[in-house]
Amino acid sequence: MPPEPFDFSLTTYYPIFLFLGAVIGFAVVSLLLSYLINPGRITTSVKQMPYESGMDPIGDARQQFDVRFYLIAILFLVFDVELLFLYPWAVATYGEYPVVTPSLQTVLFWEGMIFLATLLLAWIVAWRKGVFRWR
Amino acid sequence: MLFDLIPFSLLVTVFTIAVIFVGVLTAVAYLTLLERKVSAWVQDRVGPNRTGFDFGQPWLKFLRGFFGLGQPLADGVKFLLKEDVVPGYVDRVFYYLAPMIAVGTALLALAVVSVGDTPVPPVLQTLSANSSSADSPRRVFPATKSELAAMNSTTNLSDVRAGYAQYNNLSTIKFAIAPNVDIGFLFVFAIGGLAVYGIVLGGWSSNNKYSLLGSLRSSAQVISYEIPMGLSVLGVLVMVGSLNLERVVDWQARHGWLIAYQPLAFVLFLTAIFAECNRLPFDLPECEQELVGGYHTEYSSMKFALFFLGEYTHMITTSFLTAALFMGGWHLPWLNDWLSPSMTGNFDLSYLFALLIKLAVFVAKMFVVIALFMLVRWTILRFKFDQLMALAWKGLMPLGLMSLLGVVISRQFMPPGMGQWGFQCAFGLVSLVIVGVVSLLLPTEAPKTVLSISRGRSHSATSAPELASRAS
Repeated sequence: MPPEPFDFSLTTYYPIFLFLGAVIGFAVVSLLLSYLINPGRITTSVKQMPYESGMDPIGDARQQFDVRFYLIAILFLVFDVELLFLYPWAVATYGEYPVVTPSLQTVLFWEGMIFLATLLLAWIVAWRKGVFRWR
Repeated sequence: MLFDLIPFSLLVTVFTIAVIFVGVLTAVAYLTLLERKVSAWVQDRVGPNRTGFDFGQPWLKFLRGFFGLGQPLADGVKFLLKEDVVPGYVDRVFYYLAPMIAVGTALLALAVVSVGDTPVPPVLQTLSANSSSADSPRRVFPATKSELAAMNSTTNLSDVRAGYAQYNNLSTIKFAIAPNVDIGFLFVFAIGGLAVYGIVLGGWSSNNKYSLLGSLRSSAQVISYEIPMGLSVLGVLVMVGSLNLERVVDWQARHGWLIAYQPLAFVLFLTAIFAECNRLPFDLPECEQELVGGYHTEYSSMKFALFFLGEYTHMITTSFLTAALFMGGWHLPWLNDWLSPSMTGNFDLSYLFALLIKLAVFVAKMFVVIALFMLVRWTILRFKFDQLMALAWKGLMPLGLMSLLGVVISRQFMPPGMGQWGFQCAFGLVSLVIVGVVSLLLPTEAPKTVLSISRGRSHSATSAPELASRAS
């Protein structure tokens, strides 16, 4: 059977899975090895305490955290999905051997510009709302 | 008999994995020594210089010293033999899982990164019979049945098939674990993004305030800097049109390094990988003075070593990636003319020599980036967290958009070659200057004690006593 006309083949991915196995094996074995050959544990109540520079810890460590971390996560989602759209756009429109014809390239250029302008608007709105302010 | 059953490519892959694995682990061990030597040099100290290979034996005294070359070995043995302290109240499952994720993601990202020259698969060329002369060369992309039939009958395709056959023969020596993976550096970013889980789980499961704060900061930092990183790399994609790292390097070998085309994108990428690797000046997640050790405060012995290993492996991976994306990979000007018989398919001494030279060039470029990592550590002070976030969202984000805009406009309106190069370079540098000047002119915000954005708009400052009275 002749090779596929497209320069894509799933077999290029199998070394990644082999390597994944090797990496997991390495992590598990090194932890197990250290667990097996390290000297026996002597646990005292002070050793069991969470380390807070010698002070007795007050309350649980898992307290509420700032809502701004959450806002950053949402904003990241927006802009990362944007990047997800831009990657195939860039490959299809430009690149050394563009997939599209030059006339379609012009259309796609302006569509990309409109998309980027929308993003810029979202970014300005987020700035005006004070999402980037961390004081 | 047995070897007939196993495909040859599998053996090659296993061999490559073994070599790269051992190579990276050794490189990480000696990078820690190099880091200590560099910091000693910057601070006018001597650094580790006594630990040789004498193992404390008097009759091996002549092996003592050697610039501290035995230090990584001693560190490794110490990590293995140290008492494994597990504090009470930790979440055991995630506590053990976190260092494994940290090292696993860092190593796995290395899978698609080539460290030397690997053959590039042939590009599907034009349907020159079908496309009109006005069209630029385009890839075969059959839209209709007749087009598909035309494509199958064209002689070009047989050329491509012949090229593929030759390529398959050539691909016996590979300097990457998984060469020619088409998602290429997107895979590195995806796996690098997963590294956040190791940090967050480590911080959360430790049940320690320092760890939790460190991991929260780290997650916010890593996801914030992923966006400028993605934007800066889009410029590469617009020029090359493939995420495949071998193709990126091949393009640069033919057209010139992308650092010359897009210096702004290179600076953005470099800044972003500093933040992704949690290196100074972006090492807030683990700043020793405020958070003791950040997310790995409660980790000891081998578990800590795995975090450490992951961090340095990430450095190596991103350095190779920088070399491949912007600095031309194995390519040096005039190198290909000098090493003319490379990639002829004949496996002889000159071919092997060419491969070794290319490997050496690639590794040397990687070391340039690593040296930058280490010198910047002792040059630039750590940012505050608000400065860090402001840099990512207010500084690098618009710069990334400008960089992309410059590349796209040049591709759309400029003639290929010098025109595109000049426009991209000038546009990037001018936008860097403009954003710099604007950021200096912007009014600095007064420190605010409490910021409430719960109702969708920002309020002015509320002082602490006022807040207390409101609460009561």
